[in-house]
Amino acid sequence: MKILVPIKRVADPDNANKVKISGDGTEVTSEGLEWKMNPFDEWSLEAALRLTEDGKTKSRVGEVVVVSIGPKDAVATIRQGLAMGAERGILVEGEDKKLDALVVAKILQKIVEKENPDLVVLGKQTVDGDSNLVGTYLAEFLGWPVANYATSIRTSDDGKTLTIVRELDTGAATLEVKGPAVITTSDRILHPHAVKNGVTPDDFAYPESEGGRYASLKGIMAAKKKPVEETSAAALGVDAAPQVSYVSFKLPPARSGSTTFVESAAELVQKLRNEAKVL
Amino acid sequence: MRFGFTEDQLMLRDTVREILARECTPEVVRAVWEKKSPKTPYGTLAEAGVLGMTLTEEQGGLGLDETDAALPLEEAGYAALPEPIVEAIAALPVVAAHGGGAWAEKIAAGEARLSISIGDARLVAFAEQADVFLRYDGKKLYLAPREEVALEMQVSVDRTRSIAVPRFTDEGATVLAEGAEAAELAALVFDRAALGSALFLNGLSRKMLELAVEYAKDRVQFGRPIGSQQAVKHRLADALIALEFAKPLAYRAAWSVAVADPERSLHVSLAKLRASEAARFVAKQSLQVHGAIGYTIEHDLHLWMKRAWALAAAYGTEDFHRDRIGRAILNEA
Repeated sequence: MKILVPIKRVADPDNANKVKISGDGTEVTSEGLEWKMNPFDEWSLEAALRLTEDGKTKSRVGEVVVVSIGPKDAVATIRQGLAMGAERGILVEGEDKKLDALVVAKILQKIVEKENPDLVVLGKQTVDGDSNLVGTYLAEFLGWPVANYATSIRTSDDGKTLTIVRELDTGAATLEVKGPAVITTSDRILHPHAVKNGVTPDDFAYPESEGGRYASLKGIMAAKKKPVEETSAAALGVDAAPQVSYVSFKLPPARSGSTTFVESAAELVQKLRNEAKVL
Repeated sequence: MRFGFTEDQLMLRDTVREILARECTPEVVRAVWEKKSPKTPYGTLAEAGVLGMTLTEEQGGLGLDETDAALPLEEAGYAALPEPIVEAIAALPVVAAHGGGAWAEKIAAGEARLSISIGDARLVAFAEQADVFLRYDGKKLYLAPREEVALEMQVSVDRTRSIAVPRFTDEGATVLAEGAEAAELAALVFDRAALGSALFLNGLSRKMLELAVEYAKDRVQFGRPIGSQQAVKHRLADALIALEFAKPLAYRAAWSVAVADPERSLHVSLAKLRASEAARFVAKQSLQVHGAIGYTIEHDLHLWMKRAWALAAAYGTEDFHRDRIGRAILNEA
């Protein structure tokens, strides 16, 4: 099975308080920020790696190709994916602020047409844009089925047929899907039994984890030798003009930090209604 | 000439940082302090290849050197990892290359822990956790399994790093080297452990400074954060200067050990001395900035501070290293 996993670098979400707005208010500045793989993409990469390995022996039985769109130094994020276990990488050069969900989906469409994977597995959203659109756009452009917010993926025939559990506000929906397909994942895809591929023994449980697997030192050394292809939207024949433009950004107002103690529930309600004006 | 770390070395650092951020939280360190035997990331570090990183590929390692281990050891200090990682990285190449392959394999796999006793050092660290001791008695270098060593436990300032006075016998020992070779290997292991401690101390300092800075930003007195007061600001600036001067000395020493520079021991002493002084200084400044809360056992600062105090005296006190530097620059034996 061959799986394409789009990964995006984002400003370290643990340091979100360091995000700054440019002087003219038209963009978020990235100065001084550390880049990390979008956590949702890291979880989707973990799911893809589980789908293409014998979990017990860790031997690879498929191929994972990671693709990222961004400036040249986004290759570090691709290397991280390769160190985790992906076989190949593709970097599509682009400028972060000129990428909207539509442009990203169009580029990914071209990559999919070129790579011909059995599945595309991606995070349900990025933690910077939070638009939650790319997976659905991509499936539409490809004419493939899409299963969003997957918490479980099972296949025993290399993704030709899949049983996917989707997370809904009202519960969970189980779908039978015919591949090739686009799947977006939620964090519950990391559950020890969430991913089954017909190769990993059914009773095998992955360790409880808050994130994707660590890049082992051996993986980091091996990643140096793995191929990373570089291309561009123009080379792929994609019109990279964004459809969405941002008018202005504003940081949330600073909190006053003051604490008021009240004597009774009635006083609390009164203050919430008249002073905080949240009721 | 480029003095920075390579992309690979930064990735190694990030891997160790991520493992420790997830699995070596202050709660884990505190649980070790309170003898609650929590799961530490020792096994995960082994699985990621960190413990055996300096073994050769034939020995099951990655053939990396001290410059590659520098940032991971700093990260271990930043997290106050309550495990003998300095000892593992310092001793394994010597152990594996001189007949201790079976122990090296177990330690690299996270299935055993090693402690070091070289020369007239009175105490061994991680005494409760150690499965095997690397001992140099002035004549031979050998591995002594835990069950053949009598340990008289001592009270440690850092309860996450238990200490004991050991009594060794020859029973069950695996002799690695004797005579001049043993002395040479023991000196190498000592320098590697002192270097590892220096790097670990610099990581501890970074965390203690960070705790102090955060506290100075949050703590409001007389209507303004205490960090806006010049006296506090200057204290923190001095702490940062101490740390920033200690770091390059440790990196240079790592390089000297890696390339077997003839002045290896001098560079290691410079690094260890300055890292110990910086850590004690940063601990003091951090404690002052925290005020009374810093003295309480409930606050995390003491977990880092006491490790700094303990490690400042490990693998050569400041006096020992100052003396060694003095002898080196005066060309004395």
